Amino acid sequence: MSNILTIDDEPAIQRLLSAILQRDGHNAIPASTAREALSKLRQSSIDAILLDLGLPDRDGIELIGAIRAISPAPIIVVTARSDIQEKVAALDLGADDYVTKPFDGDELLARLRSALRRTGKPTDESLQHGPIRIDRARHSVSVRGTPVSLTPKEFAILEMLTQAGGRVLTHAALLEHVWGKAHLGDVDYLRVAIRALRLKIEEDPAAPRLIRNEPAIGYRLADQA
Amino acid sequence: MESRLSSYVMAALTVGLVALITAVALPLLGLASSALLFLLPVLLASVPGGIGPGLLAAVAGGIAYNFLLLPPRFSLAIHGFDHVISLIVLVTVALVTSSLAMRLKLREQEALDQVADSREAAQLSAILAEGDIAGAPERGVAWLAQLHGHARLLHEGGTEGDAAFTSLDHSAAAWALHNGDMTGHGTSIMPAAEWSFIPLSLRNWANRGLLAIARPEGGGIRSESQLAHLRSLALLVGQACDRAELEQQRQARETMEHGDRLRRALLASLAHDFRTPLTVITGQLATLSAKSPEAREALTAAHRLNRTIEDLLGAAKLEHGALAPSLESLDLVDVVASACDAAARPATIQLDRTIPADLPFVIADPVLLHHILLNLLDNAARHAKARIHISAQVQAQEVLLAITDDGPGIPEDERERLFDQFARAEGSDRTQGSGLGLSIVKGFAEAMGIAGTITAAPDGGACFTLGIPQALPSA
Repeated sequence: MSNILTIDDEPAIQRLLSAILQRDGHNAIPASTAREALSKLRQSSIDAILLDLGLPDRDGIELIGAIRAISPAPIIVVTARSDIQEKVAALDLGADDYVTKPFDGDELLARLRSALRRTGKPTDESLQHGPIRIDRARHSVSVRGTPVSLTPKEFAILEMLTQAGGRVLTHAALLEHVWGKAHLGDVDYLRVAIRALRLKIEEDPAAPRLIRNEPAIGYRLADQA
Repeated sequence: MESRLSSYVMAALTVGLVALITAVALPLLGLASSALLFLLPVLLASVPGGIGPGLLAAVAGGIAYNFLLLPPRFSLAIHGFDHVISLIVLVTVALVTSSLAMRLKLREQEALDQVADSREAAQLSAILAEGDIAGAPERGVAWLAQLHGHARLLHEGGTEGDAAFTSLDHSAAAWALHNGDMTGHGTSIMPAAEWSFIPLSLRNWANRGLLAIARPEGGGIRSESQLAHLRSLALLVGQACDRAELEQQRQARETMEHGDRLRRALLASLAHDFRTPLTVITGQLATLSAKSPEAREALTAAHRLNRTIEDLLGAAKLEHGALAPSLESLDLVDVVASACDAAARPATIQLDRTIPADLPFVIADPVLLHHILLNLLDNAARHAKARIHISAQVQAQEVLLAITDDGPGIPEDERERLFDQFARAEGSDRTQGSGLGLSIVKGFAEAMGIAGTITAAPDGGACFTLGIPQALPSA
């Protein structure tokens, strides 16, 4: 059972979140303002945070920085705004994932599972997510038990996605990790590499099931139940 | 007239005075000094009076010198060659001096005129610079009217339909506007016109506007230098017009940007206000629908409502021009996969796709294209019997993305109308869907330079095709 801090100023949303979290055996700790959220974060042990960006007393994006300063708990942004830039900014500033209102309860729980898994896992020798298995020491990858030969860039992308374990990674985060800071704007590099990667690991590269695209935001591995 | 006469009289009087003094004091002064004294009246007369009085003083001085001083005295006869020479020298020096004095006077006048012109230009500049920018040209012209008689500012329409101008004026103004020349009174082009027309800008900026100044009231003719001066003043007014126009554009832009910001903020808060209650509704219904078929039905309706709200927000953006596509190169595999994942469809309908592995990337806005595909898939799901097919192929510079269903299809004469539902949504009472979805498809597609067409699928269903521009292969 995990303690989940739910930060949202709408009581009805709070009740909904609490009901959804209980389905997976989590304990919801509600906070309706940024101030209340920060004080609860200091008082109790919190395993993950669901954060609505539209709070009455403080800008949500700014609050992410404040939370990161006192807690390493994963943050999932739950927003009713459609502004893509805002989501990307939240992710780049330290949020771990996002869901858009109206969200699907199962989707939210899957995101939360991915986020919680990350916290328990430091730098393991081998990584696994669904059918993907990566042996870091040997630099080898197998999918559905079949070894796959990847270029260094493809390996680096898949390794980063697998380590994220279903969390979304922004284009900028992937580009910086694999190509370096100078190529933050070269999303084309990433798309070309993802296409090549899919040809090697997807059963049907035209209908990919493993690497999922989040329009204008980034990529993630598909949720594994 | 009177002052010219008086300078002749003054010339004669000073010559007489010098003649008297030298005649009496000749033994004291000697001939050479006396001759020099006769230059004084020439100088005194030509400086204020010009060449006429100077000449009079020179000739009269020569005669008096000969008559009174040169031996034999009191006779016009001259004895001795040296006396002839001294008389010639006296007259020549007098003539040269008076012409020099005359030229000096002209230069002085010119300098004074230039000072006056510069002062006028400086005053005009000051008048144009102070106060509001938009009213500056009119202010400047009103001030010019006080100085130079009737003055008018004519814009690009020229004198058209203005009763203050004769037909010759109309022609002169049209010429000035068209060719950038000064025309009308005082110029070499249609000088009989009642007004002088002076372009507000240099020749290569022709066709901008004119300063019209009426013929001088006294009946005189405007000189070339006066026109040149007016031209430089007109250029100042022209610059003020430019500034006024720029200021107007800046204000218009500011107003528009302010409106845009407001609209964006309003749309964002509307989106928030719609989505928050919908989250509660769909969330609670999702929990209930595990046990209740009614709740499942309500959940489907809530999802549809959500799509409609997304479309309404999209339509509002389209209508207010708040849509700013950010085009980038995209892999259609990505685009189609995320749309297929997000689209709701009955379990009875199969969704498959044919996308070549070497399909070129396309240029589009990822969010708008996602919305378009969701709408097309939603539309197909509502009409398909058992199957929806997505396919992509290259054609010329485009990638054609086709979404085909096996439903009843759309009659040829209704295809165009279908995309225009937005215009006809009022009063239309469609049972399935608002029709908004397809108009969003059209509007978003057009904003990205994508052409949408509807055709019939081979088996009679509907086929919606998007012609998406190809991205250039990256280097």
